[in-house]
This record gives sequence, C-alpha cells and structure tokens, in this order.
Amino acid sequence: MSGGAQYVVAAYAVIWFLVLAYVVMLGARTARVGRQVEAMMRMLDRRDAERSDSETAEDRT
Amino acid sequence: MTDGPARVPGQRAAAIWGVLATVLVVVSSIGVFLVAPEDADQGIIQRIFYFHVAIAIASLVAFAVACVAGILQLRTRDERWDDVGEASIRIGLLFSVLVVITGSIWAKASWGTWWVWTDPRLVTYLIVVLIYAAYFVLRSSVEDDRRMRYSAIYAIAGFASVPLSFYSVRVAESFVHPVVFTSSGANMPGSMLWWFVVSQAAMICLFVALLELDLLGRRSERALRRLAMRLESA
Repeated sequence: MSGGAQYVVAAYAVIWFLVLAYVVMLGARTARVGRQVEAMMRMLDRRDAERSDSETAEDRT
Repeated sequence: MTDGPARVPGQRAAAIWGVLATVLVVVSSIGVFLVAPEDADQGIIQRIFYFHVAIAIASLVAFAVACVAGILQLRTRDERWDDVGEASIRIGLLFSVLVVITGSIWAKASWGTWWVWTDPRLVTYLIVVLIYAAYFVLRSSVEDDRRMRYSAIYAIAGFASVPLSFYSVRVAESFVHPVVFTSSGANMPGSMLWWFVVSQAAMICLFVALLELDLLGRRSERALRRLAMRLESA
C-alpha cells in the first residue's frame, strides 16, 4: 500500500467504525426497550389470565 | 391474549431514511474511490476531502437543527423539541469528532503534522467541538424543566460559534487550511464536485436517519415508562 493510501484507508476506517458503533449503540437501546415491552406484555397476559380464572371461580360459587 | 406492541410513531420514517442513507453512502463510496478523478496535486490523499468536508457541513447542519429546536422548545415548552435538540447535538458532536480525526490524518499526510495550532480553521472548529461537548455537562448538572430550558438557551447561544468557525478561514490572512468553496464558486473540476454533492447528500441523509433512530428510541422509552406507570396504578 502506498504512503498516501494508508492515510485514506485510516480516515475512512475511523469514519465507518465510529458511525457503526453509534448505530449499534442506538440499536442496543431499541432492543432493550423491545425486551421490556415483551416482559410487560407477558405480565399483562398473566394478569388477564388470573382475572378470568377468579371470575370463573366466582361464577361457580 | 393481548395485542402485539403498538407501532411507535416514526418507525417508518426511520426505516426510509436509514435505507436512503445506506444507498447514498454505498453509491458515494463507489464514486469517490472508483469513479472520481485523482487530484493532480495531492494524489490519493485528496479522496479524504469528499467525506471530511461533507461530514463537517453535516455537523454544522446538526447544530443548526439543535438551535431551531431550542427556539421551538422555549416557545412551546414541548419536551419533544428538547429530544430533537439533544439528539442533534449528540450526532453533531459525533460528526465533529470524525471531522477532527479525519482532518488530522489528512494534515499528517499532506502537511507532515497532525495539528497546526496557528491555523484559525482548525482552532475555531476545535472550540466549536468543546462548546458542544460542554452542552452535555450542563444537561447532567440540572434537572427536569430547568434542564430543558437551560439546554435550549445553550443550544441557541452555542450556535453563535458556528459562523465563527465558518468565516474564520475566510477573514484570516495567513492559513494552511485550503478554502475550496468561495464566493466565486467551487475550486474543483465538475467531476469532483459531482461526487462531493453525492457525498454531502449521503451525510445529510445519515444525519437524518441517525436522528430519526435516536428519536424513535426516546419515544419508545417514554411510551414504555407511561405503560409501566399505568400498570402499577391499575
């Protein structure tokens, strides 16, 4: 690689590495929010199931 | 069973800008490395110019967006403008760091030194970077409504440093940093200018895509917090 080319490669490598790292950081935050939403949905499902079970038991009595 | 998670506003916009930015970055990279003519004076080193200058202009656009968001935040007291302002400055700062690093690499290759303290363009741009880095120190030192208000005022006041950097190289008498764009036009052939315009469009699209992605994450977190509060109170 010529003397000039290595500087060009270094400059573009820095650009793409930092931009990619920033996108990964934003993606990680979005994934964390997604996991929390899923956990909340499971909690809601469990709560709904418990409510319907207790309503069925009340109807029987 | 409950329905799936609701679509957060801005998902489609983030996806569209993301695709557009990716396509333009790929096209401009191909153009810069394979199609654009080699500079007769600097040779291959000049190819740093296409993204170095495009990112510098995109960083100034990001700071301008933060300034406008600051004005709108002060007028409306809407926290969404605070989000836009903070996200814009964060991306602008990332771009500024890239400009300083790529500029230093170019300086080393072209002038034989990493940094020239006597050059007004380099020093004033570094001042701009430090001013916007201090924005995050300010944000972390105050809370809630005061944080939004102070941040908006700082974003507006900080933007005053941008013209200082932009015009410094034009009013200074001695400098080593070249001026490509003057009032009489661009000092480069049309084939180079064309690929610079494509690179500039790519960097602006990248800024908007990163901004949309950042805002999407913030909206999702806010919606999640509201949902958690409703669940706890139910």
